[in-house]
Amino acid sequence: MGLFENPLPYDALSTIIFLPLSGALLILLFRGERAARVMALIFSLANLALSLPLLFLFDPSLSGFQFVELREWFPGLGLKYALGIDGISLPLVLLTVLLSPICVLCSWRAIEQRVRAFMFCLLLMETSMIGVFCSLDFVLFYIFWEGMLIPMYLLIAIWGGPRKDYASLKFFIYTLVGSVFLLVAIVALYLKQGTFFIPDLLFKSYDYRFQFWVFLAFAIAFAIKVPMFPFHTWLPAAHVEAPTAGSVFLASILLKMGSYGFLRFCFGLTPEAAQKLAPIIVILSIVAIIYAGFLCLGQQDMKRLIAYSSVAHMGFVTLGLFSFKLWGLKGAMLQMLNHGVTTGALFLCVGILYERTHSRLIADNSGLGKVMPWFVAFFGLFCFSSFGFPGTNNFVGELFVLLGAFETNKVMALFVIPGPILAAAYMLRLLKRTIWKDGETSPLEDLTLREVLYLLPLAVAVIWMGFAPRGILGLMESSLRLYLEAVKGAM
Amino acid sequence: MVDGEFIHPGFVFLFGSLLIPLLKGWLKRAYLLAISALSIALVATMQEGTYWQIDWLGVRMVLGRVDKLSLCFLWVFTIMAFLGTLYGLHRSEDGHHVAGFWYIGSSLGAVLAGDYLSLFTFWELMACSSVFLIWYRRRPESIRAGFRYLMVHVFGGLCLFFGMVFRYWQVGDFTFGPIPPGSAGVSDYLILSGFALNAAVVPLHAWLPDAYPEATVEGAVLLSAFTTKTAVYTLARAFSGYEVLALLGTLMTVYGVFYALIENDMRRVLAYHIVSQVGYMVAGVGIGTAMTINGACSHAFAHIIYKGLLFMGAGAVLYRMGTCKLSELGGLWRWMPWTMLFYIIGAVSISGFPLFSGFVSKNMTVSGAFDAGRPLLGIFMELAAIGTFLSVGLKVTAFAFFGEGGKEVKEAPWNMLLAMALASGICLFIGIYPHALYRLLPFEVEYHPYEVSKVLEVLQLLGFSGLVFFILKEKLRPEPKINLDLDFSYRMFTKYFMAFDRRVIALLDYLLGEVWKVVGMRGLYGGAEASDSFDRKAIDGVVDGMAYGVRTIGDRSRRLQWGSLQGYIALSTAIALLALILFALE
Repeated sequence: MGLFENPLPYDALSTIIFLPLSGALLILLFRGERAARVMALIFSLANLALSLPLLFLFDPSLSGFQFVELREWFPGLGLKYALGIDGISLPLVLLTVLLSPICVLCSWRAIEQRVRAFMFCLLLMETSMIGVFCSLDFVLFYIFWEGMLIPMYLLIAIWGGPRKDYASLKFFIYTLVGSVFLLVAIVALYLKQGTFFIPDLLFKSYDYRFQFWVFLAFAIAFAIKVPMFPFHTWLPAAHVEAPTAGSVFLASILLKMGSYGFLRFCFGLTPEAAQKLAPIIVILSIVAIIYAGFLCLGQQDMKRLIAYSSVAHMGFVTLGLFSFKLWGLKGAMLQMLNHGVTTGALFLCVGILYERTHSRLIADNSGLGKVMPWFVAFFGLFCFSSFGFPGTNNFVGELFVLLGAFETNKVMALFVIPGPILAAAYMLRLLKRTIWKDGETSPLEDLTLREVLYLLPLAVAVIWMGFAPRGILGLMESSLRLYLEAVKGAM
Repeated sequence: MVDGEFIHPGFVFLFGSLLIPLLKGWLKRAYLLAISALSIALVATMQEGTYWQIDWLGVRMVLGRVDKLSLCFLWVFTIMAFLGTLYGLHRSEDGHHVAGFWYIGSSLGAVLAGDYLSLFTFWELMACSSVFLIWYRRRPESIRAGFRYLMVHVFGGLCLFFGMVFRYWQVGDFTFGPIPPGSAGVSDYLILSGFALNAAVVPLHAWLPDAYPEATVEGAVLLSAFTTKTAVYTLARAFSGYEVLALLGTLMTVYGVFYALIENDMRRVLAYHIVSQVGYMVAGVGIGTAMTINGACSHAFAHIIYKGLLFMGAGAVLYRMGTCKLSELGGLWRWMPWTMLFYIIGAVSISGFPLFSGFVSKNMTVSGAFDAGRPLLGIFMELAAIGTFLSVGLKVTAFAFFGEGGKEVKEAPWNMLLAMALASGICLFIGIYPHALYRLLPFEVEYHPYEVSKVLEVLQLLGFSGLVFFILKEKLRPEPKINLDLDFSYRMFTKYFMAFDRRVIALLDYLLGEVWKVVGMRGLYGGAEASDSFDRKAIDGVVDGMAYGVRTIGDRSRRLQWGSLQGYIALSTAIALLALILFALE
């Protein structure tokens, strides 16, 4: 397991992790809502700028962790303050820093009460999300993992919709149950190896019984986070009640932690068990794709529809991962990013509508083709991207996942066929109803400059990743090969 | 990557459309026509070869495969694009023009595609842009019909998609080329059904008469040209010689005619005739000799022009009258003489009169079927031709343009008339100089349409149908009720034939139409509602039930001064400890 030193003169990863936190603390010092908004925007933009050196100095030919920071923390317990990124975590970190300023911008007008507290929570979320992807020590990882729960809980519970109590508690409990299993697995690994340092734990050959139980604990924790069928019901509840920024973080980043965990830990620590138990995950993924597709088709609430579509999209991610083929792994990673971009953008669109009509029902938001043409153009692009229209990002991801899945098991892959058809059906139904309506529509304000400003980067990403995914694939390829060989070696 | 010799006409349309919203008035109209004319010029200067090859993530994509087969379709597509644009020039919505350009551009892209990946991309783009030509009519029924159209095509596209992914693992590449009938596997049949759906092959045809009559006046003209004929091209490219296509194609020729005879809506009559006419092409491809494939291509060429012309005529009537139901029309010859003239030229072309385009193209397939030793198929195709003349040629003309009734209207706008005049000119030109068309065909031809025996045969058939029509005109009157007091035996036959047609065939088609509406759409929504209630009641019920159970425990624990949330945490910790003990014991 190679660890490569940080070529930058400062601690690059610590900086991008703790800059939002310091911004959050600074917000508490100042009074005034406008100051809070501006400060949150400045800090999240600065973080975006500061993470660009990571992208440019990252060496895609290396499979190990780069920009590593290593300090003793609690030497007695073997705890280290260890950070590092590889080709799997870097794209997810970049996604996080890209979406953070967008989330600040989309809450500019939508949040009117307790603005300072809201921005504080958003920046806290950013810190812990980046922390999760960068941690190389299990205790640090677990702290960030849990640390995310509280601001997210608050986002739903304070600024949420009418059923926020139910939704936030449900989210909290579900995730907490998952975390407990995660903790069990971490402690079990510590008892076995005497360290929490992830690079020391990865790619060791543990005996199968041990692997089996650790995999199971991990799988439950991550399956809840992803979420996989049948652990998915917290997701629509949380999404419907969460404010827009909360939904975007939840869909775009939090769900990725589950699939990230599957790849990093289930493949790296328990490859043999992953091989043996893969059929279960594959079947659950296919069920999720089909079942969630049907669910989407029956929804009247736009947010609920998009929430269920996340379940289907994440089904593609887990399907691709557990195909154990390079195509599938690449496709799964691409799908993680695609879902982050597209579904995030769809939630932003629903948020924009909600600010105008104060309703999330499809019926209350129809017939917009004439009154909000620019909005419809963006929304149409994201809808098409969501069901994998060729030329958009999701098409590439789904194509790769299916190429991997077909290579592994043709019969199984045939069962996926209804999935994309359903996806097209529910997305086009949503789009049709949004654009057209019998009779006249009352006039609504089209997109403002601020809204265009935060939708545009995502629209560019949709097209760019659809036509030229080579750059992103290049970043992750050697790391993915490492994990793929670990699983294949365990056969 | 980019050869100097070749500019992709499809991309001219796709990128050309971006400027449309920026232009106004005459400048915009001139621009629309200039782009269409430019595409014809591009095709005229095109040399055979393979252009615009791109390596996309290790997959070789070919955006410009120019050979005789694709050139033949490129010619007619660009000509029709020009005529369709001219016809729709008065349309004020920019979105309609953009959708039309995207539709044309993507079908040109599909014809030029040399690999499945780019074919699929253009295929989907075609479906998603053409649906706007239906939606822009803005009637509630159009919106619904458009949505069904889109769903069917997305479904067909995904058949193609899965077929191509499946095929990739068998063959190892995405090259789009001929597949010999003997070696076809599941993946190839998936691809075939995707193509067949777009070609409206019976029984996958129900979307066509459902959607086209709901399209805008200008949109229907474009729709009639590109979707089905792109599919014919792909079938000719990959699946020539497939017996199933020969049989289904022949079935289509007869089937469409049966239904067209009893339809009342002008554009619905024409839509069913697309099914019938495309049947000749599909059958030609299915029989798979050089002659019949040539027949399929030449018929596609002729058909695009005259069917476009017929839809233009019907559209002009709809544009001026506000309806094109035959039972509400009549006497239009007084008000729209030019429209009538051009419509009749289209009608005699589709019926295959000598000197008109249908004659030189349709009979090629029919003769080819006889030459290939398939006389039965040939006979059915000839029978279908009678029905075509009866319905499109005589019935529509008689009840829409002649007869009584109707209100006073203006003649169609100049651009519509000009487009129709040009299309009529092409129909006549091809009919009189068929070798201009035959030069474009993929194989060398030794076919001479104007042999005395062939001309006589066709004239006899058409004369007979004309006679039948004028004797039985009242029977064919497009009204729901049938006059029962007929006692001549030959009339009895007609009566029973029409009754059979009206009842049985109509019922069959109604059923087919309903099956995909009901089983397809409602089944989908029914399944959706069932899953939704399962999700809320079953899965969520269990989870919430558990949560309430835990909350009850929490309430009890509150006596020990615990809040309910702490109760959950305590429980979770207990589970964790239990698990740890289990590990420690190992």
